[in-house]
Amino acid sequence: MLLLPQALVDGLLIGGIYITIAIGFSLAYGVMHIIDFAVGEWIMLGAFLGLYLSQWTQMEPLLLLPVVFIVFGVLGYLFQPVIYRVLSGKKGNPLLMALVFTFGLAIAFKGLGLTVFGFFSRSIPSAMAANSFTFVKGDFFVTIPVIRLIGLVYAIGVTLVLSWILKRTDFGLAIQALAQNKEAAGLMGISAKKTNSWVYGIYVGISAMSGVLIGCMFSISAQMGSKYTVLSFFVVVLAGMGFLAGVPWAAFLLGMVQSFFLIYFDPGYTLLAVFIILYTVLLISPKGLFGKGV
Amino acid sequence: MRRGILAFGLFVGVMALVPAFVQNAFVLRIVTELFMWIVLAITWDVMAGYAGYLNFGHGAFFGAGAYVTAILMMRYGWPFFVTLPVAGLFAGVAAFLAGIPTLRLKGAYFAIATWALALAVQQLALVLDITGGPDGMRLPPFLDPVFFFYLILAVAVATFLLLWVLLEWAPFGLKLKSIREDESGAMALGLNPARIKVQAFILSAVPAGVLGGIYAFWITFIDPASVLADIITDQAMVMAVFGGLGTLLGPVIGAIIVFSFKTIFWAYLSDYQVLYLIILGGGIALTVVFLPNGIWGTIIGHIQGRNALHKGMSLNMPPGRSPVQGADVND
Repeated sequence: MLLLPQALVDGLLIGGIYITIAIGFSLAYGVMHIIDFAVGEWIMLGAFLGLYLSQWTQMEPLLLLPVVFIVFGVLGYLFQPVIYRVLSGKKGNPLLMALVFTFGLAIAFKGLGLTVFGFFSRSIPSAMAANSFTFVKGDFFVTIPVIRLIGLVYAIGVTLVLSWILKRTDFGLAIQALAQNKEAAGLMGISAKKTNSWVYGIYVGISAMSGVLIGCMFSISAQMGSKYTVLSFFVVVLAGMGFLAGVPWAAFLLGMVQSFFLIYFDPGYTLLAVFIILYTVLLISPKGLFGKGV
Repeated sequence: MRRGILAFGLFVGVMALVPAFVQNAFVLRIVTELFMWIVLAITWDVMAGYAGYLNFGHGAFFGAGAYVTAILMMRYGWPFFVTLPVAGLFAGVAAFLAGIPTLRLKGAYFAIATWALALAVQQLALVLDITGGPDGMRLPPFLDPVFFFYLILAVAVATFLLLWVLLEWAPFGLKLKSIREDESGAMALGLNPARIKVQAFILSAVPAGVLGGIYAFWITFIDPASVLADIITDQAMVMAVFGGLGTLLGPVIGAIIVFSFKTIFWAYLSDYQVLYLIILGGGIALTVVFLPNGIWGTIIGHIQGRNALHKGMSLNMPPGRSPVQGADVND
């Protein structure tokens, strides 16, 4: 019982980072109906950009987040037309072909990462990484590393900004309209191509920023991509694909699963448990825990 | 059709003579492995090309077969040949049990579910005792390249013939294609899509399982990082997509091209092994964008198009493709 508060806090803090790796992905799915197998690879590339930038400029990596966001946002924006072309193809099943396409992309990015960055694990040095708060009350004690707290705050911030954009701006309205009905939105003067590019850019930018945060908290390597792809699939499937409001809850659940396995069970079984939960949820309720997926 | 049978017989005949002329163990091994990949590619295509379900966990059947053979031989002392049917049976039963629930899922959901399942199997093999965990398992060495060549060639020929009869000759292939095109339409015609899909899933799993069993005995060492790696599914996928989905010959041609490329690449450029991943992934992506029908599918399309033109009929064009360039209104 002594460790219970720590387990809960850890779960909450880890969950924060899972929100950010999944929320952009869920947004992209909701609008474009594309499953991006390369999500983990965007995270990996973003993390390495953060690493090299902070080494080059000698600046605090957390301050470089906007730079990473802009670089990858532009990359995603420029890249999206290729995916759009696959998705609007007339041969075979375009949705399945798009799936194969992003899968190929993921493999290529992984190879690119291995070629350029090598096989070694590294971490992004951050001034915040060493600090932590400790609360002690009687037998209970809780340690909160500052960097993870920042991650949680960042995640909540990203979520709030995204929901503000979606609910309060014309651009957000256009995104929602596109997600609901592509043809009708087109008739109302919304350019699907342009909006999709923006959404994809935002999604890639958010994923890359999360990569930098992950690099500050854990280690990064060129092979890390598929692990985070799995985790973000997990969160998005649990939340219901394309249902943004469900993402934080699913992310916190994943954080709890991970921290409880780490503290109370064998950590070797964590991934196995994650897969089994993912699989069971897919079978029982493919539209997610809330039944509101697309 | 008679020409096809003749060509097939000739090809198998020539291949059966390979060990008599090729004394080089390295070359023999490459050809053996090529046949292995052909089987993996065409069995993956049964689900992807014919049924329209992307199975991202095909490698799990291969790995499961390898582990069944290894465990039965090493832990229970079974002879090799007895373990092969068991490996195939195990893969089939696994496909049956996994297929009933997962095949209810559509499109991307099915892809994620099979992917998660394959990763779970890999994790399971890492933590179980009977599989030897991350250390893997060692099998007694049986160093007879010619034996393995004929064994895998036999499996490949049997699989190809079985799939040809079922998918191209018997009505089963048409049923599968009708599910790919329109599942509710197929149901309205009195077909039972759930049952047909599970049958196809088993059909694609059993050869992979048998092959995994042979592979374990051939390579004599297996571990979760080799036989359960996702690179197995990835490669089968590249081969099938590159060759052409929904055809039997396409994946074979794709396998020959991709595997030859891989072999040459690794033989001469082994310092740049990771570049292979870039080429592999970039290859899939570019194929999807520029050659969605694959090499063989595009060739067939051209031949059919030309024949139709010669006969003065242009009604055979696939639906959704306008006969006149630039006349698309769907854009």
